[in-house]
Amino acid sequence: MLDINRREFLKTSVAASAAATVGIPVSSVQASAAKEAEKDWQWDKSVCRFCGTGCGIMVATKEGRIVATKGDPDAPVNRGLNCIKGYFNGKIMYGKDRLTKPLLRMTDGKFDKQGKFVAVSWDRAFDEMEKQFKKTYNEKGPAGISIMGSGQYTIPEGYTAAKLMKAGFRSNNIDPNARHCMASAVVGFIQTFGIDEPSGNYDDIEYTDTVVTWGANMAECHPILWARVSDRKLADEDHVKLINLTTCSNQTSDIADLEIVFKPGTDLAIWNYIAREIVKRDAVNHDFVNKHCVFATGPYDIGYGMRPTSKYAYDAEKDIQAKELEIVLDADEAIAQRKKAGMIVKQENTKVPVKHWLIQFEEFKRGVEPYTLDFVANLSKADADESLESYKNKLVQLADAYIEQSRKVVSFWTMGMNQHYRGSWVNEQAYMVHLLLGKQAMPGNGAFSLTGQPSACGTAREVGTFAHRLPADLVVNNPKHRAFSEGLWKLPAKTLNPKVGTHIMKILRGLEDGEIGFTWVQVNNPFQASANANHWIKAAREMDNFVVCSDPYPTVSAKVADLILPTSMIYEKWGLYGNAERRTQGWRQQVNAPGDARTDVWQMLEFSKRFQLKDVWGEKSIPGLKSDGFEDGKLPDVLTEAKAMGYSPEDTLYDVLFAHEENKKVVWPDPAVAKGHANSTSDWLGDGWFPEKALFNEYRQFGVGHAHDLADFDTYMRDDVRGLKWPVIDGKETEWRFNEEYDSYVAKGSGFDFYGPALKSLKSGDLDGITNKESTSLAHKAKIFFRPYAAPPEQPDANYDLWFSTGRVLEHWHTGTMTRRVPELHRAVPTALLWMHPDDAANRKLARNDIVWIESRRGKIKAVLETQGRNRPPKGYTFAPFFDEGVFVNKICIDMTCPMSKETDFKKAAVKVYKA
Amino acid sequence: MPDTLSGKLGVWKYLILRRITQLSTLLLFFGSAHWAWNYNELPVISGNLSSSLLLGFIPLADPFAVLQILATQNTLLSEVLTGTLIVLAFYFIAGGRVWCSWVCPINMVSDLASRVRRKLNIQNAVQISRRFRYTILVLALVLSAITGVAAFEWISPISIFHREVIFGLGSGWAILLGIFIFDAFILKDGWCGHLCPLGAFYSIVGRFSLLRIKFDAPTCTHCVECVTVCPEPQVLDFKQATSKGYISAGECTNCARCIGVCPENTLKFDLKPWIKKQELTINNQQNLTTKTDNLNETDHGRKIA
Amino acid sequence: MNSISLKARRKFLKGITQNVAIASTGGLIWASLLQKEARAMPSAMRPPGALDEKDFNAKCIKCGQCVTACPYDTLKLANTSDQTPIGTPYFIARDIPCYMCPDIPCMKACPTGALTPKLENIEDARMGLAVIDIENCLSWLGLRCEICHRECPVKDSAITVEHHPRKLSKHAMFVPLVHSDACTGCGICEKACPTDEAAIKIVHPELVQGSVGEHYRLGWENEGAITQEFTPEKMRSDTSVDVEPGGLDYLNTGDL
Repeated sequence: MLDINRREFLKTSVAASAAATVGIPVSSVQASAAKEAEKDWQWDKSVCRFCGTGCGIMVATKEGRIVATKGDPDAPVNRGLNCIKGYFNGKIMYGKDRLTKPLLRMTDGKFDKQGKFVAVSWDRAFDEMEKQFKKTYNEKGPAGISIMGSGQYTIPEGYTAAKLMKAGFRSNNIDPNARHCMASAVVGFIQTFGIDEPSGNYDDIEYTDTVVTWGANMAECHPILWARVSDRKLADEDHVKLINLTTCSNQTSDIADLEIVFKPGTDLAIWNYIAREIVKRDAVNHDFVNKHCVFATGPYDIGYGMRPTSKYAYDAEKDIQAKELEIVLDADEAIAQRKKAGMIVKQENTKVPVKHWLIQFEEFKRGVEPYTLDFVANLSKADADESLESYKNKLVQLADAYIEQSRKVVSFWTMGMNQHYRGSWVNEQAYMVHLLLGKQAMPGNGAFSLTGQPSACGTAREVGTFAHRLPADLVVNNPKHRAFSEGLWKLPAKTLNPKVGTHIMKILRGLEDGEIGFTWVQVNNPFQASANANHWIKAAREMDNFVVCSDPYPTVSAKVADLILPTSMIYEKWGLYGNAERRTQGWRQQVNAPGDARTDVWQMLEFSKRFQLKDVWGEKSIPGLKSDGFEDGKLPDVLTEAKAMGYSPEDTLYDVLFAHEENKKVVWPDPAVAKGHANSTSDWLGDGWFPEKALFNEYRQFGVGHAHDLADFDTYMRDDVRGLKWPVIDGKETEWRFNEEYDSYVAKGSGFDFYGPALKSLKSGDLDGITNKESTSLAHKAKIFFRPYAAPPEQPDANYDLWFSTGRVLEHWHTGTMTRRVPELHRAVPTALLWMHPDDAANRKLARNDIVWIESRRGKIKAVLETQGRNRPPKGYTFAPFFDEGVFVNKICIDMTCPMSKETDFKKAAVKVYKA
Repeated sequence: MPDTLSGKLGVWKYLILRRITQLSTLLLFFGSAHWAWNYNELPVISGNLSSSLLLGFIPLADPFAVLQILATQNTLLSEVLTGTLIVLAFYFIAGGRVWCSWVCPINMVSDLASRVRRKLNIQNAVQISRRFRYTILVLALVLSAITGVAAFEWISPISIFHREVIFGLGSGWAILLGIFIFDAFILKDGWCGHLCPLGAFYSIVGRFSLLRIKFDAPTCTHCVECVTVCPEPQVLDFKQATSKGYISAGECTNCARCIGVCPENTLKFDLKPWIKKQELTINNQQNLTTKTDNLNETDHGRKIA
Repeated sequence: MNSISLKARRKFLKGITQNVAIASTGGLIWASLLQKEARAMPSAMRPPGALDEKDFNAKCIKCGQCVTACPYDTLKLANTSDQTPIGTPYFIARDIPCYMCPDIPCMKACPTGALTPKLENIEDARMGLAVIDIENCLSWLGLRCEICHRECPVKDSAITVEHHPRKLSKHAMFVPLVHSDACTGCGICEKACPTDEAAIKIVHPELVQGSVGEHYRLGWENEGAITQEFTPEKMRSDTSVDVEPGGLDYLNTGDL
């Protein structure tokens, strides 16, 4: 017999094993067990790492690891929801191939560009980096070095990078991948309003009656915002209208009332058709237009942002490249531009594409006159299976929706309009329609540019990590802006370089033609993300240059590099992001980075310690520099003035730019803000200051009082703050800018005030050019541009007979660096597919799931063919997303850009597709 | 075989008793399940031979089934463990393989097959060692551990038949037919004597059990009537039986067929502690050695007198 | 003498080899049968308190005492021709569902713990999960049925009714929804469902239920608030270069 103890033991062990093995645990048992497991989780607020929507998330940490996340129920953007990418925020840092050591290409212990990557210490890494940097810097000057940054920089990172480059190295060759993303939107904003970023905010969705999406597959690319739009539609199904304008039928069409599938590039004509209808139906809001707007236009012959020389082009590329110099007008373009078909047009304004001048309303009317329904419908209808009548009817309905007086309208767009050979124009056309109707800058009414990166607005644009920008909308080629910045940064006069630097496409081309000898890739994967990639990969690997890549994972760009710096990810550092509705949001460091990975800020600050003022502030040659007060081609020696200001030539850039007296007062530890959280940047620097906070607060001074007011660092970290929409005046955010009711910058009694200061003095003329060289001030007014239709330079022809466009899918983000490391997302969408119309496939004797070659003038890649599913292209059109480095779509995309914004057009290549 | 009725009854006594216990066990289970036979409103015996509850408070369980479950690394409630100990204790006293000849319903089938075989004088179609059942026993435990389910319980014809009788489930009879065909036409005592791991398990218990067939060596005439009827003839090792005074092999089922047929009353039930050791003459020993050796060698395919 | 013993040894070895051969072939067949059974997708509804299928199959001694104990004749033992592992108890809800005896006699009758005595309240039983075929559910089609909701022994927690607008007319729809946190899987709804083939069925939860990732919590349900006294992980000071760093295989091999 069992003794009683043994029996008791068995009984209890049975109970324990039962609880452990019951598949569907007894409910109360389950609940308490789950609670118990979460007892020692530590929660904090944070932000989603991915798109520009800017969803708030909460992060739980246990024993130095992110164990869970959840949508932040208090975040106004997402109210606790996440899309499937956001759902996996907690897993992106834990990919198996996380980089943990600096890696240098070496042979026999020495740097060798042809060598294999070998782990080295940070000291060794910086030694080589310093040596290579100084070699280029001393040979080629500030113009020979560059940083390829990002709209994923945190605000302190972007600010550190911009200040190091512009004030330290006196180089403007810093440009973010945001250039590929929303540079056209920026030009649109600056030229139209004189100040960057949207007037409205996401609440427009709940206030509006009509949402029109232009080249924005919001259902997949801004999923949480699309959930808000869908909710608005469902709340008032009969009244609320959704209209999707796209070149490829997609998920956003699924609940739309109207889907307009148009030919690539003809959006330019459709906007003008709407404008013509507004004029014809006398629907212009004359009161609003007269009070707050002027009309303007610019030259048409501005090229396509390609290289002006065929020297580097592959043979197959040369015919298209030649169009950079001159084009032959086709029939449609001739009508649209009131010219003769077959006319040869030399591209004479490629150097000054942004030039524009005032015109009269009558001239504007003359400009839009050719855009009749017949002309535009014939030009833009993409779907061969759709009848012209049906298509015309849709265009009329579109115009009706905009024009209907009582109807509020929001136009959303993203890459379809930004990544466009005339991206800046088409952005301006959106404002043209909204301003003509007086439907701008009020709740539920406005043209709203969405962004693709978490801090495209907050860092790339507001901090100004662009080749032409300084913080808070200041620009390098404006002497007043430079002087203001030099004052704030305590720099000797003329330290800042007045010559606009190289934009990201030009940095890559510079690697190819030898002008750039050193580049540092940060928070970016440009060698996968930039069009015509075969050129740039070859350039980086085969030219005499040094490429540094800071990255948490081995990306294509890391593989191309000579030195890889292992880098901390989002929750391994302190940071702030700014989303598409001007909302700035901050988070604390939650966990430590693995191995030797370090924050970008630390990397830059450490690197800055290796430069003394005498290395960088002496006389520097800048080829092509031409600016008032500067000797041609030269930056002056400012060391004398620096000495007068109390600096020593031996002071390091670290001391002067970053760890200066003011910033050192911002001490670490900072218990009130940190609440126990660590700061690896401070710890590794070890000199007792709090770089992220000090630099943010320093940066903030640029915007305060200039309609870019941000709150101070501590405010964003407060428990009760879920981001604030700038300008933040007296702790109060601004909901709708330029509107007297909401914006304290608006002159009292004006109702609306487009107070942006940039480009507010213009000469005037007619549609063809300037006729009166006298400048007129346009203070407080917005510009309504006439921009014509222009044909895409590369179009399908007999050989390359299909359109090709790239973009995103919901499951993956950008080049898949993070999302492809999440096993679940990788399982869901393991590879990029090529979507094609089933008839096009049948005509090529191809079937779904065939492996096909996609070939353009620039290269060819393999992909799996898909003829059904989420994207339904019209005949003649194909699409493949760019997240998958195995289907390297940027090898076939064309590197033409909008000549004004320098933003690449990833949407309009001509390809042929055949069986592999 | 005696001609008189009383003589025949003497021969059949144990057979009749065995049939009674076998059938009444089945009936008790069946009656409790279907006619609600009860004692103080508690079922007389609920469950089946795998595990049951007698009179509402005495748990009984198949020790081999329990052993297999334990081999799957699962813990069990004390009720079934207690039941196991009760059952083990019973067979420790009554003889391990009393299960086989007095309780197991398969016994009736295999006895019938044996009889048919004798009548039709059928030869074995295959030869398998009687030790093979121990291999199956070990295999059952190993497979239980590997697959995580009680291996023999999932295919046991005994359990399947018993369940299907008690719970009226249908196809159990097919299994009995299978065993009958196997035993009658393929291998003598094929299932019970060669394959059944449960029998093998009880054989191990039987080595230590108390109730034995006593062998009164001096009275034995070596007529081998007992060997002829014995379903496990290898247990009738006269040499060993003489030295120990009883049939010592665990495989003896205590069926008492031998008692019935023994003309000299040489074989009787007795309890181990009461059995005295026999003294052997050299002559006797030699005789026995030769005979039993022969018997053992001709076990398979032996002619029936 | 030698040759005889050699012969005997050879015979003995041959015998052993044959036995081993039979045992291993038989064992393999036996094992594959068991593996197939043991890993089969669970399809049967088990009595209340049943452990998850794998443990249940291991522990159930197939004695049928639960079957005898059930006062409604709900439970059956699976026979050789059933889909369910042989000899184990199950029920078919459309024939006789579990009527949820508060004293759970079947569970109490179980001698092995395959029906766990941990189950104290029958409403905590999880025999299965009701799943609605919304294409054939009369209520989801707009008819006023909702029998399942009304018949449910844990009505309003296991089955609730939501009111949805109906696109085709001005009548609201009363749509039943099942909640797994309260559904016991008793099958009374399935028994009661008036359609030809039941539009609400009890199925094994494993067949239909997913699970949200461990790395994610629902923001609007989970209570985790900002931790005020955060304890960070200690800073590491490992800067040696001897450790094999991640990413090298990819970086040092293959073309671009």
